[in-house]
Amino acid sequence: MSAVAAPDGDDPEESESQRQRERADRPYVESPIIMATVRIVAPFVFTLGAFVMFHGADSAGGGFQGGVIVGTVILMVAIAFGVEPTRDWLSASLLTTLVVVGVALFMGVGLTALAFGGAFLEYTAIPVHHASKYGIELVEVGIGIVVSGAVVGLFFGLASGHAGDDAEAES
Amino acid sequence: MTPVEAVVLAFVVGAALATALLRDVLASIIAFAAYSLGVAVVWLLLRAPDVGLTEAAVGAGVTTVLFLLTIAKTVRPASEDLFVDVDPTALGVSALLVAALGTTLSALPPVGSSSAPVATSRVTAYYLENAYHEAGVKNAVTAVLAAYRGFDTLGEAVVVFAGFVGLLVVLDRGVLA
Repeated sequence: MSAVAAPDGDDPEESESQRQRERADRPYVESPIIMATVRIVAPFVFTLGAFVMFHGADSAGGGFQGGVIVGTVILMVAIAFGVEPTRDWLSASLLTTLVVVGVALFMGVGLTALAFGGAFLEYTAIPVHHASKYGIELVEVGIGIVVSGAVVGLFFGLASGHAGDDAEAES
Repeated sequence: MTPVEAVVLAFVVGAALATALLRDVLASIIAFAAYSLGVAVVWLLLRAPDVGLTEAAVGAGVTTVLFLLTIAKTVRPASEDLFVDVDPTALGVSALLVAALGTTLSALPPVGSSSAPVATSRVTAYYLENAYHEAGVKNAVTAVLAAYRGFDTLGEAVVVFAGFVGLLVVLDRGVLA
C-alpha cells in the first residue's frame, strides 16, 4: 500500500478510501447485543454440534457436520469478543494438537483392531461389547476433532494473514 | 413437482443469479449464503439430510464467515451500479457449459423412481439389509462412511489434516499465534 500523503484531505475519493481503510483496521465492533446473543447461543450450538457428532451413528449427521458446528462456536465467540483476544484465550499450539489428536484417534482405532488380529479398521475384531458401534463413534469423534480444528485454524489463519505481514506492520 | 419444491428451486436459481450479477462483493457473498441455504433445503427435499446438514454448516455458515473475513481486508470500490456489466464472451462460455451439462439430464431417472440404478443395485440392497447387524448403527450412511468405507474416510480426514498443515505452510507460521 503506497502511503502517498494527500495534499488536500477533502478529496472525496481519498477520504472514502481512508474511511474504508480505517474500517478494515478494526473489523471488530464492541456490540453488547452481539456479545449477549453469543453468550446465550454458544452453549446450545456447542451442544448441537456434539449431538450431531455423537448421534451421527443413529440419525443424520456425523463427524464432519458436527465438527463444523463445534468449530462455529469459536468463530461466533471470535466475532463477538474480537479475534485477537479469542486467539490468545485458545493457547497457540492447541489447534495443531487437536488436529493431530483427531487423526491419531482415527488411526488408533484402526491399529487397535489390527493388534487384536483383525484387519485395519475391522471394529468387530476388538473384544468389546458392541465394538462396531463404539468403534464407529470413536472414529466420528476423531473426524469431528480434525474438522473443528481445521475450521477454526482457517478462520484464525485468514484473520492474521501471512507471517511476513507482521514484520511489515511493525516497521 | 410440489409447490414447495418449485418455490425452493426458484429461490436457489434467483440467489445464484444474484451471486453472479451483483456488483458489490458483500451483497454477492450474502446472496451466496442464501443460495447455499436453498441448496441445503433441496437436499432435504431429496431425502439426503446428511448432505443437507453439511451444505448448511459449511456452505451457508463457515464459507460465508471466511469470505467476509477476507473482504474485510480489502477496499470496496465505490460504485453506483447495482449489477456488473456482463462480458458477452464469458456469458457465451457459461451458456455452452450449461447446455453441455444439460444434455445429460434426460439420462437421469426421475426423483424417487423405483427403477433407478441406485435403488435396484445389489450393493444398495446389501447395505440396507446388513448394515444394522454388521455395523451396529441405525444410520446406513454412517455405516457405509465409517465401517464399509472406513479406509476412504480415514483418507478424507487426512485430507482435512493436510489442508490445515498446508494453511500453516502457506501463511509461513509454525502455530496460529
